[in-house]
Amino acid sequence: MSWQGELNKYLASAYKNWITSKRNIFTVFELFFWPLISLLSIGLLTRFLDVEGSMVSFLLVGAIGLTILQVAQIDVAYVLLFDMWSKSIKNTFIAPVRSYHLVFGAALFGIMRGSVVFIILAGVSHYLFGFKFQEGGLIPVLIFLAGVFAMAVVIGITVCISILTFGQKADVAAWSLSGLIMLVSGIYYPVEVLPPLFQAFARLLPLTYFLEYYRSIFIPGQHHLAAGVFLAAFYIVLGLFLLDRAIERARRTGILLRLSE
Amino acid sequence: MERACVEDMKGAEIGDKRMVPVTQKAVEARGICKSYKSFFGRPATVLSGIDLDVEEGEIFGLLGPNGSGKTTLISILSTLIYPEGGSLFILGMDARRRQGDIRKAINISSAKPNFPWSLTVAENLRHYGMLYGLYGGQLSRAVEEQIAAFELEEFRDMRFENLSTGLKQRLSIAKAMMNHPRLLFLDEPTTGLDPDMSKKTRELIRRIHSEENISVVLSTHYMPEAEILCHRVAFLRKGRIAALDTPRNLKRQLSIGERVAVTYEGEVDISALQRMPGVLGLKAAPGCVEIMIDRRDGGNGGDSLDGIIKLFSRARILNLDIKEPDLEDVFIELAR
Repeated sequence: MSWQGELNKYLASAYKNWITSKRNIFTVFELFFWPLISLLSIGLLTRFLDVEGSMVSFLLVGAIGLTILQVAQIDVAYVLLFDMWSKSIKNTFIAPVRSYHLVFGAALFGIMRGSVVFIILAGVSHYLFGFKFQEGGLIPVLIFLAGVFAMAVVIGITVCISILTFGQKADVAAWSLSGLIMLVSGIYYPVEVLPPLFQAFARLLPLTYFLEYYRSIFIPGQHHLAAGVFLAAFYIVLGLFLLDRAIERARRTGILLRLSE
Repeated sequence: MERACVEDMKGAEIGDKRMVPVTQKAVEARGICKSYKSFFGRPATVLSGIDLDVEEGEIFGLLGPNGSGKTTLISILSTLIYPEGGSLFILGMDARRRQGDIRKAINISSAKPNFPWSLTVAENLRHYGMLYGLYGGQLSRAVEEQIAAFELEEFRDMRFENLSTGLKQRLSIAKAMMNHPRLLFLDEPTTGLDPDMSKKTRELIRRIHSEENISVVLSTHYMPEAEILCHRVAFLRKGRIAALDTPRNLKRQLSIGERVAVTYEGEVDISALQRMPGVLGLKAAPGCVEIMIDRRDGGNGGDSLDGIIKLFSRARILNLDIKEPDLEDVFIELAR
């Protein structure tokens, strides 16, 4: 198959997610309403508590990070969720596509949507709360975003695995998992404030390292970016492997058929 | 199974030299079995020991009552789900080893077709075309080709959720033709359609089959549909093949005779009717009787019909109707 044909297998998921999202009123809430509510509530709280500038940035990085993580990961999960809700999953799995076509195609659209949300939130937080997201230059911003998007891919894959393993009931994971991950990764605090067991868990999450890296620009501190990069790459590869296994299992148990009925 | 090297094989990459059988069958299944396990309780066996050959270019029908395993079998043959046991070759390719190549060369239209709701007819075709690796002008042409072939021009910008059942079915078959498959699976293609739309869908299937020269495996529980469309049919009953042959041969093998329905006034000796040679069965009600007689070569049906009429000598025959057996009768016979 030509590279254009191969590329289109990836783009198919992005195309489906794009059309579905643009016709869904809920998209407005996903892209604007909830992100702004989250940002404004944290921003206003910092004003009320009279938090000093660098700490405001520390907290807003958490709020922005959580939001773009949620937006991007749900797009990866949508690749199967839309199919499951419309009961058309068998049409996808009868086609000659692999798990990585589906995941990376959907992730591409998730990255686009996540980037749009980041630009909006960074702009609003700069205007209202004086948050200088580009303080360390463009490279740290891009590295931070790459880390959040990589984590989003991992969470999205986990949701897809849950759907293929547990069926329709597992769609709750699509909305809850990112919150849990952010909680442990240190959304509004350094992970050192967590109980020891959770701290250990936080050190297994790449997002922890990307948050620490980006925040070190506003409040100087230690970070281990390389560990974050390694973990992100490891989890994506592991996730794709496990997703393939989940698809194989779903074909064996017949769950793919049940999800289409 | 691997008998010869064929260089130019449809469905595989160009230049892909793989061993495939010279006398290729569209489907070659041996001992296929499948059961669904529930968390609690015993596994439910859906298919057991299915042996099936479908020749290339054939329209093959899978018949059976609801729950007989038709959809599961079609899902296995189309590689959507895996069997628990048995061997399966699709278009000469081992279904365990070459799923990717098989999926390029087949497609399916499901019973109760479903697609992403908010995508229009054209967008759905485009999306699935992309999944099959179509791109650029080739993709646009394929979309337009299928829209024209299935007379969907008027509805091309209508969202899937707003389509009628008939249009959804047409879109489903159009989607299944996007990759010009060599083997097409149609799972209950006329379920839920009105008679007019069912007829059109059948004509469509016949047209696709002759124009594209493809093999078709279709499941249905509408017997006339199978009789009209299929070269051969297999009856599934409780997950097993109860019978497999041409519709004509099946009717003969099962000794399903003609049905003679007589409406009359007066007296008739029903027990004498029952005892007549060549009479296979009888249903009687006041003023009417339906007799099944064997008129096969060597059967006594011809004599029976004369005898039957004689037994009505003391009655007045108001109506006499002779009906050829159809697959419906075969179905009823096998479902017993």
